Amino acid sequence: MSHELPLRANLSALDNIALIPIYRGHFNVAESNRQALHLLEQLGHAAIAPLRDPDMSAAQRFVTKLARALILHRPRLVIDRPGAMLYDVPYPVFLRQLADKADMTGTWEIFDFSWNQPLYRE
Amino acid sequence: MNALAASIESLGAKLVGWFTVGYGIFAFLARALLLLIEPATWNRATFDVVIKQVYFTAVQILHVFLGYALVISWLIISIIVTTARDFGLAEFASEMTIRVLVLELLPFLTALFIALRSGSAINTEVALMQVNNELDALAHCKVPPMQFEFLPRLIGGVISVITLAGLAGLLALAMGYLAIHGAGTAGFDSYTRTIANIFDFTIVAGLLAKCALFGLAVTLIPVTAGLETPKKLFMVPVSVLRGMMRVFFAIFAIEVVSLALKYI
Repeated sequence: MSHELPLRANLSALDNIALIPIYRGHFNVAESNRQALHLLEQLGHAAIAPLRDPDMSAAQRFVTKLARALILHRPRLVIDRPGAMLYDVPYPVFLRQLADKADMTGTWEIFDFSWNQPLYRE
Repeated sequence: MNALAASIESLGAKLVGWFTVGYGIFAFLARALLLLIEPATWNRATFDVVIKQVYFTAVQILHVFLGYALVISWLIISIIVTTARDFGLAEFASEMTIRVLVLELLPFLTALFIALRSGSAINTEVALMQVNNELDALAHCKVPPMQFEFLPRLIGGVISVITLAGLAGLLALAMGYLAIHGAGTAGFDSYTRTIANIFDFTIVAGLLAKCALFGLAVTLIPVTAGLETPKKLFMVPVSVLRGMMRVFFAIFAIEVVSLALKYI
């Protein structure tokens, strides 16, 4: 995940996530939407499903990107400079909350500037 | 001497530029055609985008387009019929109307209409996607941009131009009948015979091919122009300007070649 890999601006959060099972898993639209919505519910943000990128807050956009990354079911999730994406919340806490909610067996790796290290110890 | 060398250099650079652009367009088209025959391309998401494209390009503007076709057809038919009568050539009015309007003018104007409305929008959208890294993001998530974003636009453009030109042609045929023979059925036989004489297999195939090429030109060129955009926001208007100029020249070239093949 990176702020350099944005969402598709004219698609809703749900469509941005649901595209992946359609193309990768060859699921039908209904099943893909169900998987995407389930993931958003799991992350506690089901209400953002119909929102498009410009209508989302930074945190909501981050959650959508996270769901889009999680639905790929990769063993390793790399979050690149979360501060650049989560400028409207205390992000280490927010990330921890999301990590607790997400049902994922892989590892999350966060790449951040060294001067932000104290933020993670709070 | 220096000025001569500089102008030769500039001409050479322009030629190389045109060749590169042409090669890029045809290479893109070849990739798109290859993907068309791959079963994996035809999933529900791609199909939905094709439907959306046809809706936005053809259905949404249908009433405006038919109104525009009605006005332009009525004007041209009136000019042809009046001129033919003035010169004592009234019996050729039907054939001239069909040849000028249905075979040449309406497909050309349809392509221009779609280019101005949808081609420019496609060019801007693809350029913005390119600048904002949205295409890289899609590819990173294993959603192929070609299948999801580009191919449906090409298919939608071709379907839309063929359908709208067909509808405008039918409207012009009906208007031509009314203008030449009036509301009665007396001239129906001769009018339909003229239509049947003109629309042989070669003409119909040529008309379909021309409309398909117009449809490709108004979508393929904006897509490739958008993809060429450097990743700088201020370059988006430049990309649209270049793309639309290329579309205009392509439409013009297709029309000229089609006329040359038919009449020379």
